[in-house]
Amino acid sequence: MAPATQFEVAQPPNDAISAIDFAPEAPRFLVSSWDKNVYLYEIASGSEQATLINAFEHRAPVLSVCFGANQDEAFTAGMDRQVKKLNLVTGEQTVLSKHSEPVRCVVYSSEHSLLISASWDSTLHVHNAANLSQPHITIPLPGKPHALAASRTKLVVAMTARLVHIYDLPTLLSAVRSNTQTPPQPWQQRESSLKFLTRAVACMPNDAGYATSSIEGRVAVEWFDDSAESQARKYAFKCHRQAAPEAEGGGDIVYPVNALAFHPIYGTFASGGGDGTVALWDAEAKRRMRQYQRFPDSVAALAFSRDGRYLAIGVCPGFETGMEDYSGEGRTKVFVRELGETEAKGKGAK
Amino acid sequence: MGHKKKRSHPDLEELLARPWCYYCERDFEDLKLLISHQKAKHFKCERCGKRLNTAGGLSVHMNQVHKETLQCVENALPNRSGLDIEIFGMEGVPEDILQQHNQRIIQNFYQAQAERAAATGNPPRGHAVQGPAKKIKYETPEELKKRLAEHRAKFAAQKAAAANGTAPQVPQADGAAAAPAPFPAAQPPAYPYPAMPPTVPGYPAAAIPPFPPTAPAGVYPAPGAPPVPGAPGASFPLPARPPGAPGAGAALPQRPPFYNGAGAPGEGPVQKVGGDDIDQLIRMAEAGIKPQAQQQQGEKKEEGAAAGEKKKKEVRMVYADTEVSPEEKMALLPRYRWVEEAAA
Repeated sequence: MAPATQFEVAQPPNDAISAIDFAPEAPRFLVSSWDKNVYLYEIASGSEQATLINAFEHRAPVLSVCFGANQDEAFTAGMDRQVKKLNLVTGEQTVLSKHSEPVRCVVYSSEHSLLISASWDSTLHVHNAANLSQPHITIPLPGKPHALAASRTKLVVAMTARLVHIYDLPTLLSAVRSNTQTPPQPWQQRESSLKFLTRAVACMPNDAGYATSSIEGRVAVEWFDDSAESQARKYAFKCHRQAAPEAEGGGDIVYPVNALAFHPIYGTFASGGGDGTVALWDAEAKRRMRQYQRFPDSVAALAFSRDGRYLAIGVCPGFETGMEDYSGEGRTKVFVRELGETEAKGKGAK
Repeated sequence: MGHKKKRSHPDLEELLARPWCYYCERDFEDLKLLISHQKAKHFKCERCGKRLNTAGGLSVHMNQVHKETLQCVENALPNRSGLDIEIFGMEGVPEDILQQHNQRIIQNFYQAQAERAAATGNPPRGHAVQGPAKKIKYETPEELKKRLAEHRAKFAAQKAAAANGTAPQVPQADGAAAAPAPFPAAQPPAYPYPAMPPTVPGYPAAAIPPFPPTAPAGVYPAPGAPPVPGAPGASFPLPARPPGAPGAGAALPQRPPFYNGAGAPGEGPVQKVGGDDIDQLIRMAEAGIKPQAQQQQGEKKEEGAAAGEKKKKEVRMVYADTEVSPEEKMALLPRYRWVEEAAA
């Protein structure tokens, strides 16, 4: 059994991490940061280190990043309200669209060559990444989006007021191709299973469902299938909590669950919380498989490599209620965990 | 229940019976607590927080789950962190270590007892009855013998005198004489009191046998009523004793009479302080200040708040805004704010 190893990336971003994404093939990953840069790292196989290949400076803090069709193409979004295409070879940045408020997330669907951006101006922009000369379509949302995730055929948008919209990606593709004036309607509209603000969304690799997490130390797992039978399967559970010392009145300290990521092969998923821990869950068996050693700060972002071999973990101080000021400077770190062969393999439903 | 504080100083058997932790030498009220302590402090997985029952179990867990090797038991004393000994509660503790521990407990017990005795002047617990008696017995034998000798001499003289006078007095005097001898032994505490006559009670009575009906009344005006012949010793010390708890005060002859009513010796000075406080209170009241009352109110408020928190108990959310995300809040900070004009 290959031993699991974990190492820290030598040149981490200078400030808080907003997103991590792995390249489609190579063991490369991008990290977007509040320090206005997007960092490209490559994991040297067998040497237990990841080297910084390049850093791409933006005008404003970068809130999201994702790879495009190949390992040389990426999309970014940030505080400057722009959605950009980033050529990782030349460093060339192309503005694709402009929102009226900062752009929180970008997601690329390789199956449909679609790029979707979600902004605090309560809209989605959908671009045809295969033909970027084609104008994007704008989909109005009923609330500010906070998290976005795509599976093979679905797009899940989690918004304020516990709103969750699920869009059908083929529908979006045809809409953007035909450049329709009437924005496509969501395939499903749901209310979040969680009572508190949604923090992260991740879709199952088998396109069957998704997981959401909230600021209140909880994760929900549910299925796309609208049948009563499938809906009855959904569940939520508490996690990323700590017992407060008795001296402080006991009870639990509840951390936000900032990041979720499904393992692309086994369909298990990882959650990262404000308590600085990463846990690995078996969604089918409803069991926690692993909880890794506590990181020095809040876990801000998680990403599995596409082959499921690596887990990249972005660690920086978490923004907490009552903070007047915030800085991730000097405390931002990126860890890479090389998983053992069966480390993320679930045991299946019991 | 466990938390209800028993006596502050348990006896040795209780101490020796307490279960204790091999790894850190801490002792516990019962085995259950010890086991939960061991699970929390010594057998808890530092990777995932899982609590195992034994160090061996933790080792296997670390090995299988985290692919790591457990080197030593956490939070253990330097020479106790080995994995070779399988400990569960009190089971598995090596005999020599057990002996060492008991030895230490015994030693500490006697040391603490001696220190306490030295500090308070109190006898060790459980010896309260014999203690003071012993003390006095230690001091008295010579005195007693001396007194007895004196008494016998006097008695002999008396007898000689009585033999010269009326015969029927003899048995009476005999009874009175018999009483004083055991009296100091039976009620030793009586005589050291400053309020007491400096001489041994009953002694004078015995000394004046020829005039029993009148002499006692003159010598001891307090009782008022003429003492019953033959029982002067019994009637005599009672009124002379300071009011309060004569029995409790018995062991502490050196204590000032004023504080006699207040059991423990340590309370003497404490009461004095209390007196000062009261004085201060009065002075403050005169000056129109009520700090004490305010303080108490403050304490009550605090208690109330604590109780409220307890009732709510539940959870404290590190981030609790249900409408605005942390990123939106960060975006508002000058550090990250982005102004279109500035960049344009």
